[in-house]
Amino acid sequence: MSKSYSLTLTIRRFDPDASRRWFQTYTLSTGPILRFVDLFRRINVEQDATLAWTSSCEHAQCGSCSVKVNGRPMLACELLVENAVNLFGTTKFRIEPVTVAPVVRDLVVDWEKAYERVHRAKPYLIEPKELPPGMTEHRISPGKIARYEEATRCINCFCCAEACLSSCRNFIGPNAAMAGIVRMMDIRETQKEERLDLLYSEEGIYRCHTSKACSHVCPKEIDVAHFIALAKEGAF
Amino acid sequence: MKVSEEGQGIGASLLPILEKLPFLSRCAKTRGWHYVIGWLHRLTGIWLVIAMTAHIYNLSPAPTAKMKIPALPIFAFFAWASSLAAGFHALNGGRLILYELFGNRNDAAMVRWTFGLSVAYAAMVGFLMIAKNQSASALFFWLTAFFAGVVTAYAVASRVWKTRHSAPWMLQRISGAFLLIAVPAYLLFLYLNPGVADHARAAVARMQDNVFTGIVFLALAAASLYHAGYGLFSVMADYVASRRARAGLTALILAFIAVLVFFTFRILSI
Repeated sequence: MSKSYSLTLTIRRFDPDASRRWFQTYTLSTGPILRFVDLFRRINVEQDATLAWTSSCEHAQCGSCSVKVNGRPMLACELLVENAVNLFGTTKFRIEPVTVAPVVRDLVVDWEKAYERVHRAKPYLIEPKELPPGMTEHRISPGKIARYEEATRCINCFCCAEACLSSCRNFIGPNAAMAGIVRMMDIRETQKEERLDLLYSEEGIYRCHTSKACSHVCPKEIDVAHFIALAKEGAF
Repeated sequence: MKVSEEGQGIGASLLPILEKLPFLSRCAKTRGWHYVIGWLHRLTGIWLVIAMTAHIYNLSPAPTAKMKIPALPIFAFFAWASSLAAGFHALNGGRLILYELFGNRNDAAMVRWTFGLSVAYAAMVGFLMIAKNQSASALFFWLTAFFAGVVTAYAVASRVWKTRHSAPWMLQRISGAFLLIAVPAYLLFLYLNPGVADHARAAVARMQDNVFTGIVFLALAAASLYHAGYGLFSVMADYVASRRARAGLTALILAFIAVLVFFTFRILSI
């Protein structure tokens, strides 16, 4: 017989119409393999239809369900009840929205505002190198791809930015910095100056203090701090 | 997703005592031990700025009553605690330099060394404080320490000088590399003076006995003041978003450092 948990979720609420903020507590009895998004859904159905939260793919690919669970930024679609109980050693959880973007309602934040940082880092090839004569594609050796392949797994969930020691008020953020760095490691990119200007600015890597919280919380297990350290080392 | 990472690496092998402390273990669970160490680096840095301010003020020419303050046991403990903070801040700074500039990713081992050597260093300073009346040639001591500090600073400078980093950031790393050796050496030197074991002013006077040690003292003061000023600016720049507030606080930091420079020159005029 599978385990059952009696959970207490204390969720930070925000009503923009009344400009009111408060914490609301919900208790649920649940099995071990329900995800936190499932708990939110159950609250909507069984206890409180007004609780607002976001999710889209619910397969840890879109990053839209990032929330803080007991202070740690995590993907609600990926966090199983049993894992959360083991990690925090409690059945009481405080759920809050991430602070990297303005809160729209309850756990819903304005992701477009957060994405502005990533857009500034231009997460695409600005000016791709011309194809070699007679070729229809660029060939990159497995060794070269291996240097940055890990970073391409980033889903921009902003968990790293939320956890960052420098608070991300004035820092472009670990994920946005990495988005620029990974394109500089791509041999097809010819336009590096623009990226370097952003990286070596006051809102770039000088706001990173290698606390490595980004690597610690990354749901994709990317060693974000390693890529930022490469920029500090002057590898580009 | 990893949820058992606290059971591996640093969490398991290094900090079993800290893990039992409720606040720290909570921070470590949510952001990792490096995050906790990052905050410790900041807090010890701020502690050292306060300690340096008190030290400079205490050394500058002033009424006799002020010079009696360090004789109080609480100030002796403050001095010892500062050596622990200085040891940790220096070694952790060294770890960050190795990670950021020299590609050393064996960070778990580096953290173990940071904590271990910090405690060993503080124990050594504590022993010298209790033993008292140790004798060392100022010239020989500083020739060795200064050379080691300059070599460390040169190694870092040669690594960062041709990068695109801003000059203030590079100077912060280079001054940090020098201070990594020079500050722990200075705190040791304070207790390596015959008959004047806890008398910092006499120790500083010994450093001005000849031109070389006088230059060492100037270099140490200049590097410390720059490193402290940029460190304070860096912490402020992380959290203050308003341009006007940043400009105001930057001016305040500059004024504070200028006051310390003034008091440092007064020490040199003794």
